[in-house]
Amino acid sequence: MSGPALILVLLAFSAVAFHLGRRRAFAVSASAGGVKNLHSLPSYYGGLTALWCALPAVVVLGLWVSFESSIVENLVVAGLPEETRALPPERLNLVVNDIRNLAEGNIVSGEVVPEMRAAADHYLELRRTAAAASAVVVLCVAIVGASLAWRRVSPSLRARNQVEQIVRVLLIASSTVAIFSTLGIVLSVLFEAIRFFGHVPIADFLFGLDWSPQMAIREDQVGSSGAFGAIPLFAGTLLISFIAMTVAAPIGLFAAIYLAEYATSAFRSVAKPVLEILAGIPTVVYGFFAALIVAPAIRDTGAIIGLDVASESALAAGLVMGVMIIPFVSSLSDDVINAVPQALRDGSYALGATRSETIRQVVLPAALPGIVGGLLLAISRAIGETMIVVMAAGLAANLTANPLQAVTTVTVQIVTLLVGDQEFDSPKTLVAFALGLVLFVVTLCLNVIALRVVRKYREQYD
Amino acid sequence: MRTSVHTSEAMARRLAKRRAAERRFRAYGIVAITLAILALATLFTSIVGNGYTAFQQTYIALEVTYDPEVLGLGEARDPKALSGANYPGLVKKTMRDMFPDVKGRKDKRALYGIVSSGAAFMIRERLLADPGLVGRTERIRVPADDDIDMLVKGHIDRQVPEAERRVKDNQIGWVETLEEAGRIERRFNTAFFTAGDSREPELAGIRGAAVGSLYALLVTLALSFPIGVAAAVYLEEFAPTNRLTDLIEVNINNLAAVPSIIFGLLGLSIFINFFGLPRSAPLVGGLVLTLMTLPTIIIASRAALKSVPPSIREAALGMGASKMQTITHHVLPLAMPGMLTGTIIGMAQALGESAPLLMIGMVAFIVDIPGGPLDPSTVLPVQIFLWADSPERAFVERTSAAIMVLLAFLITMNALAVVLRRRFERRW
Amino acid sequence: MNVTAERMSISTPHPPTPAGLFPITRSGPESGSEPWADSGPGPLLESEPESAPGLSLEPVPDDIETVGEATVERPRMTSRNVGVMYGDKMGIERVSLDIGSNEVLAMIGPSGCGKSTFLRCLNRMNDTIDICRVSGSIKLDGEDIHDPRLDVVQLRARVGMVFQKPNPFPKSIYDNVAYGPRIHGLVDGRRETDAIVERSLQKAGLWDEVRDRLEQPGTGLSGGQQQRLCIARAIAVSPEVILMDEPCSALDPIATARIEGLIDELRENYTIVIVTHSMQQAARVSQRTAYFHLGRLIEVGETNHVFTNPRHKLTEDYITGRFG
Repeated sequence: MSGPALILVLLAFSAVAFHLGRRRAFAVSASAGGVKNLHSLPSYYGGLTALWCALPAVVVLGLWVSFESSIVENLVVAGLPEETRALPPERLNLVVNDIRNLAEGNIVSGEVVPEMRAAADHYLELRRTAAAASAVVVLCVAIVGASLAWRRVSPSLRARNQVEQIVRVLLIASSTVAIFSTLGIVLSVLFEAIRFFGHVPIADFLFGLDWSPQMAIREDQVGSSGAFGAIPLFAGTLLISFIAMTVAAPIGLFAAIYLAEYATSAFRSVAKPVLEILAGIPTVVYGFFAALIVAPAIRDTGAIIGLDVASESALAAGLVMGVMIIPFVSSLSDDVINAVPQALRDGSYALGATRSETIRQVVLPAALPGIVGGLLLAISRAIGETMIVVMAAGLAANLTANPLQAVTTVTVQIVTLLVGDQEFDSPKTLVAFALGLVLFVVTLCLNVIALRVVRKYREQYD
Repeated sequence: MRTSVHTSEAMARRLAKRRAAERRFRAYGIVAITLAILALATLFTSIVGNGYTAFQQTYIALEVTYDPEVLGLGEARDPKALSGANYPGLVKKTMRDMFPDVKGRKDKRALYGIVSSGAAFMIRERLLADPGLVGRTERIRVPADDDIDMLVKGHIDRQVPEAERRVKDNQIGWVETLEEAGRIERRFNTAFFTAGDSREPELAGIRGAAVGSLYALLVTLALSFPIGVAAAVYLEEFAPTNRLTDLIEVNINNLAAVPSIIFGLLGLSIFINFFGLPRSAPLVGGLVLTLMTLPTIIIASRAALKSVPPSIREAALGMGASKMQTITHHVLPLAMPGMLTGTIIGMAQALGESAPLLMIGMVAFIVDIPGGPLDPSTVLPVQIFLWADSPERAFVERTSAAIMVLLAFLITMNALAVVLRRRFERRW
Repeated sequence: MNVTAERMSISTPHPPTPAGLFPITRSGPESGSEPWADSGPGPLLESEPESAPGLSLEPVPDDIETVGEATVERPRMTSRNVGVMYGDKMGIERVSLDIGSNEVLAMIGPSGCGKSTFLRCLNRMNDTIDICRVSGSIKLDGEDIHDPRLDVVQLRARVGMVFQKPNPFPKSIYDNVAYGPRIHGLVDGRRETDAIVERSLQKAGLWDEVRDRLEQPGTGLSGGQQQRLCIARAIAVSPEVILMDEPCSALDPIATARIEGLIDELRENYTIVIVTHSMQQAARVSQRTAYFHLGRLIEVGETNHVFTNPRHKLTEDYITGRFG
């Protein structure tokens, strides 16, 4: 039985359990002198039975799914010939991959030998058995759970309280998903990054000036060690983010000021949604726009005025990224500017200040912490932006501050290194996680500072 | 009138200066908004201008004789023989018959290049469906090759020297002959909506990617909506102020700002490497997108719950309802429109997301249309990314068209959210 | 015109009122429900709810004229037939009133009667409200303040304003006071600025309290100090008229007493118009008092006349606490 079908059957079981539990509540109430003598409404008894039916079964199913593939793989490996099992782990992994591909009818990297064919059959059979066994076990657990609950139904059973307690635990579990996501991110990038730092010293990575990870793929090549100095990537990321912010910060800020302080409500009701459209456009669309329209336009313009512009110039990616970030800056600044109390503006106007004097000398200084927080969030977004730079910035790790040249960024390299086939023991793959770690730590710091600044600011005027 | 510091000449001069500064400042604001709107307009016009022609495709009408000799069928008519017959040969023969003057291998190859390689597949499908056609002649429409399509649509400049363009002079001549014979027509490009990906632009479609997006979004919706609402209810209605709650809040706010590619790394190392889920599957994509959308949904749902006035809760509690009953019977129904709005906006974000999906292998070239959430597939934005990388001019057009389709979906979803908000917005 | 001869002092206990004497014809304006309503804490002298037949107002006849002396011999500001509309709602109408040089004019009346609205007309602060329309003529030293040749910036420099709630800028005490002179270009160099800051703070009676902490933020001062800082800020621009919109309503009695003393001193050099909810305050600080009711100016006169011998029934009802 496949996963989705099993879940549907489980749902049906729970529905039946609900019905049975509720019926039993009516039945026991008859002897106790009517429904009003039950502790809870009959449907709560049904609900309790249904929860006891579904929850343990789902837990068992989850555990099963998590461990099935590794157990099956171990069993398959155990059935392989002696000399294959003696292979080093990474080669063994390849063999297992091949067996899996063979079983699923995909293209296999090596030549198909009879042992592999047998192993693939073995694998398929194990999977079939596992699927059947999981269905049986899960449904048994469901039936046992439901019948246990069903037997406990009695007028004195505090069904409502128990149901509410269970639901409460489920609610808490849902809200901890956020913690587990963060934990998952930290663990996943941290472990692989540590493995990488086992190959390459952390100082060489953080402060090295030379980046050419492609070399590391084959050991017999010249320069096989590869170079993992990430400084050119950091510089490229900063250059593009800087260009983006020089576009987005003034435009976003002035747009927000105009909308908050000058615009009539009719103009605001048109201009604000237009800015929001900019925020809703997928980044891949911006990437296409940067690579196919803006970059050639900049190159041609450069050619006319006699400048040598790379076809994947940092300028094109940065400009388009800036456009993407404009609504981000403007909506955050708009909120912040609107939070400045009207009394401050009135005080300034009453002294005879003009609107712009009031904005520059009273409103903006008052809103400054909030605006800085918003700009920090915008920078964090620029640093982490991926699609625009993957499509419009280059791969060449140039260490330059010239916006007309091609540079590469952290995110571009992560994508380049991890798309396609990977070996999880080569520094070439692992370095992507080290870059991911750096990216995560930097954006996390920016976000935490920014969110704290903005929160402090909000509290000040609440 | 008395003169004071405020009515003096010097003051009048200063005032004029201040007024000028005021006008300048105001102009900056107008310029900023104009620039933003201009950027948006440029983006839309360039994409629509590049892409609208992709909804049409050039077809060539061929007089095909299903000659069993050319097909290499002999007397056999069984499906096996039919499916393995020499259809490319038949197409070539048809082309040669139309232009009997073409001699030489190079010219002949150029001639065959006018029609799409998909023509042979079309004829095969047709014969497999109706074997009785063998031996007969009929006029069928086959798609033109993408370069010819570009030529007919005017994207290839015929004045450019021959060596610099992809369509050669003799091909242009043949196409003009065909045009005069009325054999070339432009029709609605159905393949774009019904086909999966292809290396040939004229055969490539977005259906596979759209179905992949659909599966991924279904997984995302099924997980993120219940979890997001449950988390919001707990945080807003039950959670005591303690360190755990604080930790959860900080985490939610941070996750909302973590770069999306980091979620891709999480998906790659946890879902694929640790749990052994299949690569390129919409299921894994949906899981990753769930984690990304959750903060959006939780934040929106909490705002919706906050907007329900406490008096309603007090009224229900005062009737003797339990806290859980109060929430399920009274608070949730009132907060539901706001929660749904947030969910739709979260889904729209998920639909446009591509970077984390590159990490989990949804970037493969996949021709088949996925049949379930475990089949390898790609999604619309990644399809756009893949096509944007292709050098053919025809793919630029199709990329723009795919972007238009994606934007249409996004606009629809956002419009739905706006309508929902307008319809159910309630002032207390 | 129903003018009562009976003299009543503000300290007179409320006479028992027969329930049927003032039939309920319309409800009084509710505070906060209208855009021009005065908000904030109620007046210090508030009639007790049980003895105040607050809803027993007679409708104001349409042909009402202001009683008392609305004009003075040497006016600093004059207003004729001033009306204000908020959208299609009336704020005030047909208000004609002179403000004499170096006098303190108090404006009193129930919440929402339009006294703050009229005050905000005098320096065109109503311009900042989109839907607000002002008609009639207001002149400062004989010059129409709505004259397109007159810059509103200049007007506001000449007619300063202090608000109900102290609103110091989130800057240092020094910068708060120096802000006005700087934007108007009245000072040149640090020395002049220092001098004007010191002089203004001294006039506002704040100098001794803050002379050692001029660089600290103005928002860190106590409520009364903040309000005196706002007065110093207004004085620093050397205005001719200072408008005060219930300047003491957010302050405790001691701070209020200090501000009232300050107003008395400032009268020497400035013309002051003060809106207040407190009749004692009006009696203490002002020379003339204007009573507003439902957007009309009902009565103007010498302060002690208005309080001891009101000529209009509405004025009398108000100052005797029949409604508030």
